[in-house]
Amino acid sequence: MFLQQLVNGLTLGSLYAVLAIGLTLVFGVLNIINMAHGGIFMIGAFVGLFMVTVLDVNIFVAILGAMIVGAILGYLLEFVALRPLRRQKVSHLAPLISTIGVSIFFESVALLVWGPQTRSFPPDFIGGLIDFGTFKISMVQIIGLGVSVGLMLILNVLIKKTKIGKAIRAVSLNTETAALLGINPTLVISVTVMLASALGAAAGVLVGLSFDAVEPLMGVIIGFKGLAVLILGGLGNITGAMVGGLILGIAEVFSVAYGASSYRDAVAFGLIILLLFWRPQGLFGSKDKGGRP
Amino acid sequence: MDLLNPYYLQIVMFFIINAIMGISIYFTLTTGQLSLGAAGFMSVGAYVAALITLKADLPIAVGILVGGFVAALVAFIIGFPTVRLRGLYLAIATLGFGEVVRVIFLNMEVTNGALGLSGIPAIAQEMTNYFYELDLDDVMGLDAMTWGNLVTIFILLAILALILAFCIRINNSRVGRAFTAIKADDHAAELMGINVVYYKMAAFVIGAFIAGIGGGLYAHITNFINPTDFSYHKVVQILLFPVFGGTNVVWGSVLGSFILTLLPEVLRFLADYRDIIYGALLVILMAVRPDGILTESMMDTINRKLGFKKSPYIPETQVLTERFEAYKRKMAAQAEEKE
Amino acid sequence: MLLELNNVSKNFGGVAALTGITFGVEQGEIFGVIGPNGAGKTTLFNLITGVFPVSEGEIVFDGMSVVDIKPHRTVEMGISRTFQNIRLFGNMTALETVLTGMHCRTGSGFWSSFVRTKRQRIEEERCRGIAYEFLKLVDLADDAEEVATSLPYGKQRRLEIARALATHPQLILLDEPAAGMNDSETESLRKLIGRIRDLGITVVVIEHDMALMMNICDRMVVFNFGKKIAKGTPQEIQQNPAVIEAYLGKEDA
Repeated sequence: MFLQQLVNGLTLGSLYAVLAIGLTLVFGVLNIINMAHGGIFMIGAFVGLFMVTVLDVNIFVAILGAMIVGAILGYLLEFVALRPLRRQKVSHLAPLISTIGVSIFFESVALLVWGPQTRSFPPDFIGGLIDFGTFKISMVQIIGLGVSVGLMLILNVLIKKTKIGKAIRAVSLNTETAALLGINPTLVISVTVMLASALGAAAGVLVGLSFDAVEPLMGVIIGFKGLAVLILGGLGNITGAMVGGLILGIAEVFSVAYGASSYRDAVAFGLIILLLFWRPQGLFGSKDKGGRP
Repeated sequence: MDLLNPYYLQIVMFFIINAIMGISIYFTLTTGQLSLGAAGFMSVGAYVAALITLKADLPIAVGILVGGFVAALVAFIIGFPTVRLRGLYLAIATLGFGEVVRVIFLNMEVTNGALGLSGIPAIAQEMTNYFYELDLDDVMGLDAMTWGNLVTIFILLAILALILAFCIRINNSRVGRAFTAIKADDHAAELMGINVVYYKMAAFVIGAFIAGIGGGLYAHITNFINPTDFSYHKVVQILLFPVFGGTNVVWGSVLGSFILTLLPEVLRFLADYRDIIYGALLVILMAVRPDGILTESMMDTINRKLGFKKSPYIPETQVLTERFEAYKRKMAAQAEEKE
Repeated sequence: MLLELNNVSKNFGGVAALTGITFGVEQGEIFGVIGPNGAGKTTLFNLITGVFPVSEGEIVFDGMSVVDIKPHRTVEMGISRTFQNIRLFGNMTALETVLTGMHCRTGSGFWSSFVRTKRQRIEEERCRGIAYEFLKLVDLADDAEEVATSLPYGKQRRLEIARALATHPQLILLDEPAAGMNDSETESLRKLIGRIRDLGITVVVIEHDMALMMNICDRMVVFNFGKKIAKGTPQEIQQNPAVIEAYLGKEDA
């Protein structure tokens, strides 16, 4: 039982981690919280579902497709809602609200196009349970865990080893200095938001698959958990997002397994409110990040 | 009188409550704290007030006041960790608080879970009953129900006016200057002798109190509440009022709620696209006017034109001159002692 | 002694910013703190005003320890300061800025501000009068209703001094008040610092302008790499070999 819950928790947690990494990447570079991330996550889920049901492709192609659409939406988001704000000196409030506007936009467009009902993947789309005796793991879980771990590894290499990754880190540390060193901040910001949105879209497909439910409001509900993970791990910290995601996944699964199932959605924020008493900058965050309003 | 039909009158009531909710965000924001907990505090106020009037059968005014105080108390408790948070951490933590409150109300028995509370006594109905009791049906060609609604609007307006007066007077005082200083640079404010934690906490608690009052009024206007009324969408909706009308002046929240409460009614034929338009509007607004429609300098010009604002009266004082004299005397005395 | 530092040290994550600083400031004197950039001068101010806790040692002001006291309490105790990079409150007029400085010497709270009690109105009026006096002192009387951050640079520096004076301190800490000023502005600053002393306020000033420092200071300390390397009157400092070395480098190098 315990082992089974742990496996379930890790799977869910890895999905939260992928989602939160997208938020934390954008925060690192732009010092803003991208409230539209949940919207892109939701559209990613719909794109994945569309590709699986209508185009009849396999799940990996669907995830890739969703990521491409996510990246395009990310570019548009940056171009329309964030770039105009950078030209003027505005408060922290402005990009937050601007991205909230985009999230409302995405959500209402999705409602208009796909309607409010919950859709599911074709039955037996990826069936199968593997029984290890002490615990069972489904194919869906294996795909979820595998893809998210894979994405995190790729991202790790991308950030640490490639030129664009180094540029992203440089801009996160100090935009002005990076610009003086010949890095084009606009390009780096665009690439970061696209990368983050692609991850968000992938997380959307994986979460949609895991819960076998895709609906326009999922972006808000799951997007909130991404925010909780972001705070839990510390703003702008990728390791924090991974660990925070896993902690939240495990905490949720255990709270459901041991009684408090109806409080599941409150677990995330209960955790962060407790954490903030003890460590206001999050688990891995540094004190100076967080910004002024 | 077509204009006075109950439907229109109810829209006016919602406009006033929305303005109150917008001010609750504005007030906390005057210390530079963006709190997204308004919907959470509103729900605390609404549920407490509704339970008091429904289950304890106490007068509506008592319920609403107690609701406000309970919301303020809750803010005081969660304020301990949160007022130390800065910027976006505070925004997300308070957003989380709202979610936790919603889930708790969803699961409690006394709040009737997802079904919510219904049959909450309505202020307008009570007023109408008074008019019937006093046999004042058909006064000046208006029936008792219309009178009931009009009196309700009058009461709401009085509450709004009181809150506005509070904000404006605080703004032009020692406390308001402390708020402005904290908003501009809390570190420097602390080093100029301002107890930053105290004022941040006070602004947070008062903002919650206003939101709680707004919630109590809401419950007694709609006569029905459930946890979904106070979800994330409500947070966004409330946040829009100050953001749209102007975040730096109290009148911004009033203007914002006026426009955004009426707009959906005017755009009724676009109902399906309403949220799409909202979303796009927000993005455009932030790009064009990130501080909202009304700004401080605009209000300043308006106030000067209308003659509300004059140059401050500066009395003649001699404090420094006296200190210079005192120092001179002291030095002279010391010099004499040496001799 | 108005201010005494006993063996004060400060480490930031293992890096020593200040080590074993000991000196005292007499009531009524103008006391200088000089040293190359990064010598720990501003850190010293931050320790005295309670921004950071000291790692070691003790700071005593007017007979009371200021270690572990919150910044706003140190202001109430009578220590005030200005900032190296100007930190005025945006959107406030010059008069309001000075009024903000008087915060800790006044008492109107939420309720009395809301109902405008008689006491509150009298307090406000009297404060405006005093604030205007401070503006006159720093020669900004004509700019009372200008927005503080839109004033020219030199005026902003003087407004910061007025705001610091408005807290009614016994001790004022000036962090590079002459930075970015031209000769005539520096000259009027010199006079202003003299006037501040004439109010009975003790002045501690950090400044790189040596001509100004030699002219106004009664005594001074010299810092280098977080350590005090010299102490004395301006004449003594000018002749101190350790100071000359710190500023000009070793001769035999």
